[in-house]
Amino acid sequence: MKMLSQIDKQILNDKDFHKLVRVRHWVSWSFLLVLLGLYLVFGLMSVYTPALLARPVFAGGVVPVGIAMGYLILGMTFLLTAVYVWIANGFFEPLVQKIIAGVER
Amino acid sequence: MRAKSGLGRPSLAALLVLLSVTETHAATATGNRLNITAILMFFVFIAITLFITWWAASRTRTRSDFYAAGKSIGGLQNGLAIAGDFMSAATFLGVTALVYSTGMDGMLFIIGGTLGWAVILLLVAERLRNLGQYTFSDVVAFRLEDKPVRTMSAIGSLAVAIPYLLAQMVGAGALIQILFGLPYASAVVLVGVLMTLYVMFGGMLATTWIQTIKAVLLLTGGTIIAVGVMLLMKFDFGSLVSAAVETHSKGPAIMAPGVMFTDLVTIISIALAFVFGTAGLPHVLMRFFTVPNARQARRSVAYAIGFIGYFQSLIFIIGLGAVVYVSQNPEFLAPGGGLIGGSNMSAVHLSKVIGGDLFLGFISAVAFATILAVVSGLTLSAAAAVSHDLYANVICHGNSDRDTELRISRITTLVIGVTTMALAILLEGENVAVLALIALAIAASVNFPVLFLSMYWSKFTTRGALAGGYAGLATALVLVLLGPTVWVTLLGFDKPVFPYRYPTLFAMLANLVFAYWFSVSDKTHRASTERESFNAQWIRSELGPVEEKI
Repeated sequence: MKMLSQIDKQILNDKDFHKLVRVRHWVSWSFLLVLLGLYLVFGLMSVYTPALLARPVFAGGVVPVGIAMGYLILGMTFLLTAVYVWIANGFFEPLVQKIIAGVER
Repeated sequence: MRAKSGLGRPSLAALLVLLSVTETHAATATGNRLNITAILMFFVFIAITLFITWWAASRTRTRSDFYAAGKSIGGLQNGLAIAGDFMSAATFLGVTALVYSTGMDGMLFIIGGTLGWAVILLLVAERLRNLGQYTFSDVVAFRLEDKPVRTMSAIGSLAVAIPYLLAQMVGAGALIQILFGLPYASAVVLVGVLMTLYVMFGGMLATTWIQTIKAVLLLTGGTIIAVGVMLLMKFDFGSLVSAAVETHSKGPAIMAPGVMFTDLVTIISIALAFVFGTAGLPHVLMRFFTVPNARQARRSVAYAIGFIGYFQSLIFIIGLGAVVYVSQNPEFLAPGGGLIGGSNMSAVHLSKVIGGDLFLGFISAVAFATILAVVSGLTLSAAAAVSHDLYANVICHGNSDRDTELRISRITTLVIGVTTMALAILLEGENVAVLALIALAIAASVNFPVLFLSMYWSKFTTRGALAGGYAGLATALVLVLLGPTVWVTLLGFDKPVFPYRYPTLFAMLANLVFAYWFSVSDKTHRASTERESFNAQWIRSELGPVEEKI
């Protein structure tokens, strides 16, 4: 079994490590909840108000709410993926480098 | 179409549709009219893939080469390969067929299929790469007791890969019969022999390149069809929608969901299978070990989401386009009603409308290439579960000889190839939807929860992992057996004991409840050591292998 090494103890005492964990968890879970929440709304509407999904988005238009929602969720997924990668490259990666650089053998 | 009600993860669930459709319509297919372009293009593809296999074989010496392409694949290429794993023939033809026949119902597939990848990006990909070597079992066994949990997750991998592979082969045989006029058995043998060759000799390197090329071909083909449809519609999405509503026999009803979304339990099971099942597929998870580090793993899945989301948004256009240009076109209608070759052929027929016989040939060849690439990935993941997890780690305690281990994985590949070919031939015309159903349920209710808990829950213990994993497995199998697909359709009873087609909600819950209870009540010495080593695992999951980096 892998016990805590000297290196591990240093990392666990590093404030930056806890910052990394906290921010990463917050970002991942909030993004995920947004996407799953939208999917849940779509699913619930499919069961309980299917007619609403078939209604045109704009009065007199033809594109129904369901298609608009579908493409909206796809668009959201693209957007949040891009934002996550941006945060990861700009914030998580440098922090990881900093934490590792701070560890002494 | 019989399999419309209740569906799951796109490629698997679409496969269900595909299977029952091909089964029903094979008799009314085009007969044996050969498409020369399709055959020529297909031979070019085979020649290229065999060349790649030969090239990859000369570069496949170590275990890392065989299982993980030497960890040398870049993020963009791996993203394409991952997207390729997802975009199977069943997704391309099956989901298009679903939009074609039911309209809005296809949207749940399109959204869910994409969201499963967001779960992988946000929760799984980087940690998986940071903690594992070749298979996801490495991650589960990181701090838990190696032998029992690895055995369990290897069973989970095989229980997903083998039935899925078999279902793909049966579907492929029927599909190729329609596309190329090739007899069923020859089609199955052709697919089986090629996939065995690719994996045995070329390992992950060949499998990745084949999947990459196919992904590019499929994205190109899909784009051409969708752009062609929009061109015919003068790039007005509104007129495509109204034309589809006017043409479709169900009229405006196709814009309302109504076939699959009958009850809340089914929809939750479908959604769970979509969202969490994808992150439980061994052949997909294995791809994250082919990149050099977590950063590239993240890039891979970000690219994959781009390609998959793009492809999914094309599918809806292609499906509606098929409604407008194929459903009323006498050229594509079978004498007995419906499309020639069944509604699965809607995308293929549409390609003829867009680009004539030449483009039809291209799309048929791409569909065949798609099948080959996906079954190869599945075969490799099953072989790795046997040789890396069971042989090297459970039997040899991690001290296996490299050459022996590689020989065992090649022998396993051969055995899997021959067995699935033989079984697929025996199962001609059988309803193999149950196989895809089992694979789907197990990915979401065995593999994913165990992987997830091992990465995120500090109190998770070996006892909890085993109880949860086996409870999920047993629940999934029993509920599939007692559900409508096996109990009524296959065994011929009047009423299913378990009313729902998809067991995911219950099986996943069973896994989590057992995993929780048997972990928190675990008072053994082993359990406390495992909990203590969570911190060490946690550090490595966030930072990667720290010792190597300092």
